[in-house]
Amino acid sequence: MASETPPGESETRLLMRPLNRLEMLSEQAYAYVLLLPAAILLGLIAFYPLVRTFTFSLRADDVFGADPFGQFIGVDNYVELLSGQALIPNQFIDPAMNEPLLRQALIVTVLFAVLSVFFETLIGFGQALILNQDFRGRRWVRVSIIIPWAVPVVIQAMIFWLMFNPTIGWGTDFMQWLGVFGDNPLANTSNSFIIVLVADIWKTAAFMALLILAGLQSVDRSLYEVARVSGASPWQRFKMITMPIVLPALLVAMLFRTMDAMRIYGLIDASTGCEQVPTLTCLVITSFNARRWASASAVAFLTALVIGIMVLFYIWQFRKTEGGAM
Amino acid sequence: MVKISNTTEGDKRVAGVSRRRFLAATGATGITLGMAGCSGGGGGTDIDPDADIEEDVTVELAMDQDFADVQSGIQQALYDAGLDENISIEILPGDFETDSRQVAFTQALDAGRSSPDVFMMDSGWTIPFIVREQVVNLEEGLPQETLDYVKNNYLESTVNTASNPNSGDLYGVPVFPDYPTVQYRQDLVEEAGYSPAENNWSTEPMSWLEFGEMVADVWEYHGGQSSYDYGFTTQAANYAGLSCCTFNEMMTSFGGAYFGDHENLFGPVGERPVTVNEQPVIDTIRVMRSFMHGSDANNAHPDYPQISTSDLVEFSEEPARQPFTNGNALFHRNWPYSIAINAEEYGDDLGVMPIPYGVPEGEGSYSGTGGTAAALGGWHLTLNPNSDNLNASAQTIAAFANENVMLTLFELGGWLPPVPSVTEQATVDRVGRIANYLDTLGIAGQSTVPRPVTPVWTDQSPLVSTEVHDAYTGAKSPSNAMSTLQEDLEGTEQI
Repeated sequence: MASETPPGESETRLLMRPLNRLEMLSEQAYAYVLLLPAAILLGLIAFYPLVRTFTFSLRADDVFGADPFGQFIGVDNYVELLSGQALIPNQFIDPAMNEPLLRQALIVTVLFAVLSVFFETLIGFGQALILNQDFRGRRWVRVSIIIPWAVPVVIQAMIFWLMFNPTIGWGTDFMQWLGVFGDNPLANTSNSFIIVLVADIWKTAAFMALLILAGLQSVDRSLYEVARVSGASPWQRFKMITMPIVLPALLVAMLFRTMDAMRIYGLIDASTGCEQVPTLTCLVITSFNARRWASASAVAFLTALVIGIMVLFYIWQFRKTEGGAM
Repeated sequence: MVKISNTTEGDKRVAGVSRRRFLAATGATGITLGMAGCSGGGGGTDIDPDADIEEDVTVELAMDQDFADVQSGIQQALYDAGLDENISIEILPGDFETDSRQVAFTQALDAGRSSPDVFMMDSGWTIPFIVREQVVNLEEGLPQETLDYVKNNYLESTVNTASNPNSGDLYGVPVFPDYPTVQYRQDLVEEAGYSPAENNWSTEPMSWLEFGEMVADVWEYHGGQSSYDYGFTTQAANYAGLSCCTFNEMMTSFGGAYFGDHENLFGPVGERPVTVNEQPVIDTIRVMRSFMHGSDANNAHPDYPQISTSDLVEFSEEPARQPFTNGNALFHRNWPYSIAINAEEYGDDLGVMPIPYGVPEGEGSYSGTGGTAAALGGWHLTLNPNSDNLNASAQTIAAFANENVMLTLFELGGWLPPVPSVTEQATVDRVGRIANYLDTLGIAGQSTVPRPVTPVWTDQSPLVSTEVHDAYTGAKSPSNAMSTLQEDLEGTEQI
């Protein structure tokens, strides 16, 4: 006997089918479906400019044309950049080593990122451990540690520029007294690198301290009591309790700082200048300003690639920690 | 439109300076500039130079802080020259340094911004904007009378840097040319036993060796570095001013050159020799190292004394001027704008002399080298094709081509008139103390060395400044730096 379907029921079933299918999905698949709209949006915002930058980088520079992009030249810009033959004042990298190491943008940038993140993490951790203690005047100490983070980059750069200015600064004499710097640190590549490094650490260690402090404050203090009663030394308490709990927050902080350090520009531009500390972003800006838009696009794309590799390195290295799963 | 006259109907008094010398001097700078490898022709924008401006319009001019400070004086001079009173000007103070201003203008024009209406562009980088047709061809934007006046009366060398190198069309109106000189504290020099007037310091250039020994002596007489931070200040920072100007003129005075004979300064690119890895060029660096570090320093010239400190490698124009104006330096090399400032500070105690020479004129390795040499600078007004006020802006530019306006600019900021005959009318009463130094400026104008403005100079300039700066600071030896520069410049010549 043929069964009769009530009117409208088939349409309702059709409508319910995708919802039912969603209900049948595993937790993981369901999470991916929910993330899909955001992923598409991010893809448009983040990847479209990247793809456009890449297509621009495959064209020649036309410094004297109304259109700054010349003909299609494939990967010639990349070949010139990676062989140290690009027509720009500072090279991306110079395999022949005709240029000093601190004049090669990739080396300067990676060295800056590694050193700044290392010292900022070290100092930030120390500051966070102090701030995590109960003591009289803790509020004032917190303020003094956080103040550098609140200073705008240009002001921060001007402070250091003025400190080493030949006519009014005191920093050069002091550093010479310590036997560290030469006569004109702002005109010396290695001295300028150190000035920028110290300026960045001075400001950004506070950022690390705040993120690590957030991690520290999530530690159940009774764990320390138990460990102390069990006879654990301060180092053992740090290693066995503090570090594992803080590590996820620490890794996130280090990742953010590494990405920031790889893109440093403002601090350099307003203090020593890109001539002395030519980072990757400096190279993008100087090439762009010289109306070498295709070369600037190639440097920008390579910079994104280098940062991407460093991020992957973090994720790969720490994939087994809770933070690595972020 | 109100008729704008190019001639002054005001003060016709004769200046108490050598007119003939100034005319001879400025006429000698009228060399023909050429450009190699440029392309492009005249672009057109619909402008009516005779249009009536019926509503109040504000024309924005991107200049610098010094011009902005005297905006009301300039505005009045423009009205006196016949500018329609419905047009008011607003001077936007751009960055003082030429590199930064070039970048800002490039971005504004590439983005198609309508503001500012008028750009003041360095003569060293106006031509790239012209060949890209990013500024208005003034052949269609200015009245014929103004075009004729500019082409027939302005310094030819400055007009050429404001014109399309292929068509000859005018794209900019020169506001002022620039020739550097050395300023000094005449009172302190005389106290040390020297007689600038008797020895004609204002018109007879001395050699760099004589200059160095004299400055060292005067500096020592007055207590050396414990009393004055610097015997001499100049510009030796790593910036465009080093390659175009201070190094260029000093190297030229020692008989060296970037591209051999001076006829090669403007090309043809790729067919001219690169001549920086040669002894006169290396000697120039060694002399500067002696001036900064003393004759015993590494890679310094043994015959030249210390007359300054290594701080020079951080000095562009203003950082070099400030110690002199503040009384911490005895001698100072700079453009005429600083004469106006320092004359205000020191009055009759300010002395001015031509730039010293390395080897006598004619004894250089290449034609045009040797003898005193002053880098030729200057600035032009160009019109933004995206401006919302094209007619008013064109009329404003035309009003600058007026003798009274030129004299007002000379008076207000020490900006030299681009028309030599107008400079003759300058008296102390009309333009202030800077009129006392016209003889010296005439000598400077007679011995200008243009910057090598070719299509590849934008790429070459930072290469030159970086290598020379490295040699100045001691990061590289002079021969290593010049060897690297030789290769780099040869590479850029192959574009």
